[in-house]
Amino acid sequence: MSIEVRTIHISKTLNTTAALTDVSTVFDAGMVHGVVGPNGAGKTTLLRLIKGLLHPTQGKCEFTYQGKVCTPQEAISRMGYFPQEPSLYPDLSVWEHLEFFRDLYNLGDKDFNKRAEELLAATGMTPFKDRPAGKLSGGMYKKLGLMSVLLNRPSLLLLDEPTIGVDPVSRQELWDIVYNVAGPEMTVILSTSYMDEAERCAKVHVLQNGHLLAAGQPHTVMENLHVTNFAELFLKHE
Amino acid sequence: MNTRAKHIMAIASKEAKHIKRDIFTLSVALVLPMVFVVFFGFVINLDYHHIPLTVRDNDQSHTSRELLTQASAAGYFDIISAHTPLEAEEQLQQNRMRGLLIIPHGFHTAFTNGEVAHAQLLIDGTDNTMAALATTYMQGIVQATQQALLSSHEPPTAAIRTRYLFNPELNSRWFIVPALSTVIIGFLAIILTALTVAREWENGSMELLLSTPLRPLEIVVGKLLPYFALTFFDVLLVFALALLVFRIPFHGSFVLYLTACLFYIMGALALGLLISVITRQQQSAIQFGFAIGLLPSFMFSGFIFPIENMPAFFQYVTMLFPQRWFLQISRALFLSGSGLIDLIGPFIALFLFMTGMITLAIRNFKTDVEP
Repeated sequence: MSIEVRTIHISKTLNTTAALTDVSTVFDAGMVHGVVGPNGAGKTTLLRLIKGLLHPTQGKCEFTYQGKVCTPQEAISRMGYFPQEPSLYPDLSVWEHLEFFRDLYNLGDKDFNKRAEELLAATGMTPFKDRPAGKLSGGMYKKLGLMSVLLNRPSLLLLDEPTIGVDPVSRQELWDIVYNVAGPEMTVILSTSYMDEAERCAKVHVLQNGHLLAAGQPHTVMENLHVTNFAELFLKHE
Repeated sequence: MNTRAKHIMAIASKEAKHIKRDIFTLSVALVLPMVFVVFFGFVINLDYHHIPLTVRDNDQSHTSRELLTQASAAGYFDIISAHTPLEAEEQLQQNRMRGLLIIPHGFHTAFTNGEVAHAQLLIDGTDNTMAALATTYMQGIVQATQQALLSSHEPPTAAIRTRYLFNPELNSRWFIVPALSTVIIGFLAIILTALTVAREWENGSMELLLSTPLRPLEIVVGKLLPYFALTFFDVLLVFALALLVFRIPFHGSFVLYLTACLFYIMGALALGLLISVITRQQQSAIQFGFAIGLLPSFMFSGFIFPIENMPAFFQYVTMLFPQRWFLQISRALFLSGSGLIDLIGPFIALFLFMTGMITLAIRNFKTDVEP
């Protein structure tokens, strides 16, 4: 079952900078959500707050799992998170990464082997499973990160700018993987500063300078804000 | 295997792979101990041999000749004769000798009459270590001369006979080599682990690790294990070299020695991790590591400077450093063969240091990315 996330008047100050200010929005269960905004909008901060890697200065995150409100600890244990910064080990191979995360997520050998083979096939990474992460292309590197967090079948998948620095073909492949895994079993929240990607999401949450400008289905948001695309929206608010 | 053990082994195995593939870490871990052993074991020698000693023998007697024979045979002094006081003064001015022994007329007569036979030894005081050792050597030579001569005369009515226990020849290698592990661990263990957590923060992998079910205890213990194995190997290597190459006797219990190594290595590794956990930057971590690992190993351990000679305040300061306690245990086990009862204080100090450092490293381990 997927998780629903509700941020309630959430604010976060990092050192003396207001990274997020009074953000209230709902990430419905089982959907692909896009947190969109230019660099410095507060996208990473919002994802880290949901994952519990940062603590809100004000407000809170509320989680619903199987129709019932659950504790942040319970929700966090069912999340998968892949950060924006390179975070894999350059000297470990693709397969060694998967084995490492198998142990961290306490997966049985049989379950792991089946899941790992499925993911390798879905990402087209089977031929590269012995290649060190440091020698993968940008797209393959992101796919490995995605595989590592998907091994555990999370109920909520958080991806911070998964397509940044990736060629158009790999971007399309990453989106295909995201669409395939999202559904009743998994809510996906990803952040992006590529405005064309916002329109691929079922729901967008538009951030600028730490404030939530709008949230809803992409075309509804654009209609309400009287713009034809998201790039225009940010230029208008510049 | 339970979840916690599985997590610890996963981190340990990952870390072991990093070590195996990182030439720099491997080189530091395996080559540095060798450098220390060669440098301190072979190059540095605190013993003095062949000290140039000018002798002005005004007595020219059987007794004075016996004294000079003993001095020459011991190998500590190279005897240079000065036939006139002017010649002795010249050698002194030209800095060709480090000491001057003047044997006056009547030396032999005083000796054979059972009186105190006086001779004067002038030593170059610019090198106080050499001066102190030369004096000690000369005392031994005088004693040896007395024994040699008195065996043919009447036995002495009262005499102090000095015998050095545990290191009869006062060989400085016996003093230094058993202490080498103290310096090697104190430096190496702290430097190696000081980088590990800081590297994870700088590489961005810590954020990924923190988003998994791993707990700080599992990360800390998992990271300690492979570095423990590596450092322990170094200690065993130095131990083997001490016995096989330097021929230093080991009189104590090997189990006690290994236990002391366990406490000291784990404590030092945990201190390195604590530095890494607090600084989160490799450059700062390495600077702290050098300051905390290297300096106390030399300054406050008793490795070179005797703790008893320090001002009282600094003697108390040395108690904060595990190097002092491990060195005490190491030397005692190697040379005097002390038991646990004799060494219970240093063992308790090392154990407290180890548990304290591991606890602090775990407690200070951040589980978020707050600045």
